[in-house]
Amino acid sequence: MTDIQHKTFLFDATRCIDCRACMVACSVENKIPMNKTRIWVAGVGLKGEFPALERASMVYHCMHCNEPDCLSACPVGAYSKRLDGPVIYDPKKCIGCRYCMNACPFGVPHFDYDKGLIDGAFIDKCSMCTQRIDVGLEPACMATCPTGALMFGERDELLKYAHDRLTAQPARYLNHVYGESENGGTSYLILSHVPFKELGLPELSSTPVRDVSEAVMGVTIPFALGWGAVLTGTAVGVHMVNKKKEADAQKLETSEPQAEEKK
Amino acid sequence: MNLQIKIHPRFQLKPLVIILLALMGLAFVIAMVRYANGIGAVSNLSNSYPWAFWISFDLFTGVAISSGAFLMAAVVYIFELKEFRPLVRPSVLTGFLGYMMVVIALLVDLGHPERIWYMIIHWNHTSVLLEIGLCVMSYLTVLAIEFAPVVFEGIKWQKFAHFIHRFIMPFVILGVVLSTLHQSSLGSLLLIQPAKLYPLWWTPILPILFFVSAVTIGLSMIIFESSISARYFHRGLEIHLLEKLAKVIPVILAIYLLIKFSQLTLAGDLKYLFTGGLMSVLFWAEILIGVVTPLILFSIKRIRKSPNGLLIGSIILLLGMILNRFDVSWFAIQHPDPLTYMPTFMSAVHYFPSLPEVLVSVGIFSAGLLAFGLAVKYLPVFETNEDQHDIVS
Repeated sequence: MTDIQHKTFLFDATRCIDCRACMVACSVENKIPMNKTRIWVAGVGLKGEFPALERASMVYHCMHCNEPDCLSACPVGAYSKRLDGPVIYDPKKCIGCRYCMNACPFGVPHFDYDKGLIDGAFIDKCSMCTQRIDVGLEPACMATCPTGALMFGERDELLKYAHDRLTAQPARYLNHVYGESENGGTSYLILSHVPFKELGLPELSSTPVRDVSEAVMGVTIPFALGWGAVLTGTAVGVHMVNKKKEADAQKLETSEPQAEEKK
Repeated sequence: MNLQIKIHPRFQLKPLVIILLALMGLAFVIAMVRYANGIGAVSNLSNSYPWAFWISFDLFTGVAISSGAFLMAAVVYIFELKEFRPLVRPSVLTGFLGYMMVVIALLVDLGHPERIWYMIIHWNHTSVLLEIGLCVMSYLTVLAIEFAPVVFEGIKWQKFAHFIHRFIMPFVILGVVLSTLHQSSLGSLLLIQPAKLYPLWWTPILPILFFVSAVTIGLSMIIFESSISARYFHRGLEIHLLEKLAKVIPVILAIYLLIKFSQLTLAGDLKYLFTGGLMSVLFWAEILIGVVTPLILFSIKRIRKSPNGLLIGSIILLLGMILNRFDVSWFAIQHPDPLTYMPTFMSAVHYFPSLPEVLVSVGIFSAGLLAFGLAVKYLPVFETNEDQHDIVS
């Protein structure tokens, strides 16, 4: 999927020190209230016994899939995929059905469960800091990262860079770039030294999860028309057969002299 | 002139009615708290569990148990099996009220209930939920039209009843098409979760399974509701008709069983039948209660001929099939473990419905029951005289 030309993150779990500066930077840049966050640091915590302790963490936010399932699922089209990468959400269209939260295999979109009708409860998720990348800046999380665990750039370049790292230091990494093909490719690539599952990432095939439901949706209208035609045909057919039966019965009756008098 | 004035109290506040009204009031208060302080204020829904009790009970169960309406309309109007006429009105009424309850529940569950009509103007054609939304809105209109003659007869506007009846056929066909679409699409709704729904349930043919099971649910619902209203409203039971419906159920259940197990075999998912722990238990529970037991019961003539047998059989089928709807839309959805990927302040680790959450659904259901009772009391729902317009002539 190297032909996709758009902005992408590259995250290197071996470089993340779990300082959470990215969370702070994101919340400040996007004015996220204290009890919410668009980024979370995933991981299983400490492993092993002292002194051989180990821990791995991952900065988790929207994967900006090339074929976003949230976008496919949203009934009112509140999601869109920009040509330069970001999957963005339009609160003006959202009806709050939360189907996108079900659809997203990564569990990214989250909802304002604490807001009533007056405040307005919306979905929130990473927007790739479109307000910054539009003026040539990098997303806040990446710009803040002190260890270079987060990188940002063109997808093909970063993908090549990720593979270069894997070949240069095969002992350091698992030989896989998560997001290169997962769910049809994502704009968030991950390198890791621990199994991706431990970082909270689901095992996904290269077919986006939306494919089956979109295939079913594709046959809906033809099916509806066909089914309607079949039913109409049946109704007309049954009616004609019944009419004929009735007429035959009447003929029988009229042929008999006593049956002349009818009401 | 001997004038006798006899007062018939038309509306008695029986204890049941008072309880139903109280439950409705409670649900209304909870809904107001939810509108003021958010969904989290009354329910245990969270970022890990965006859909749970409300969707499983109100949407999945509510739509499924309303399927009797399109079945009876099809049987009587399209196949002209006129003997089933007495069952049309009650099942259309059940359907109409069922869908009303679905819509009212969604008005509580949606984050922006005031925008529910956005589905009419903003279309995302790849969304299964859009299809369901549009189908439910249109079908509710169709059901209103199908039921309108009863209302007009009730208020003695025979001309209007006649008028609607002359043009009923296109609406019946539209109603059957819309029902087929959204009964199956409720299954399609879960197709986007192959990574989350347990493999015993996730399959590309979910829409087919949903439609087939909806037919059995609809038929059982007609049996159930006729039996109950015969007892409660002291009217005759059309047992010869119900027996015929009950006779069809085992056939459809056998088809369902065949499709389900062929699919599991072909997909290579048979191994999960015994290795899935709680998931395997849930699966066997829904198959044994919802499919196998009623299949056996309704195959026995003596049970089909007895009012109690019909009632019990239909209740067992409904319980099992409702468990199926809860399984696919809630119990069998494997949410990613929030501990590994989401901070706890963003998400609950476990989900169990809160009391207010359940009470909202109970209140809406009570409203439905009450509306059914009132309609039966004041409208010719169960009456079938010769001059009524329930028949294609």
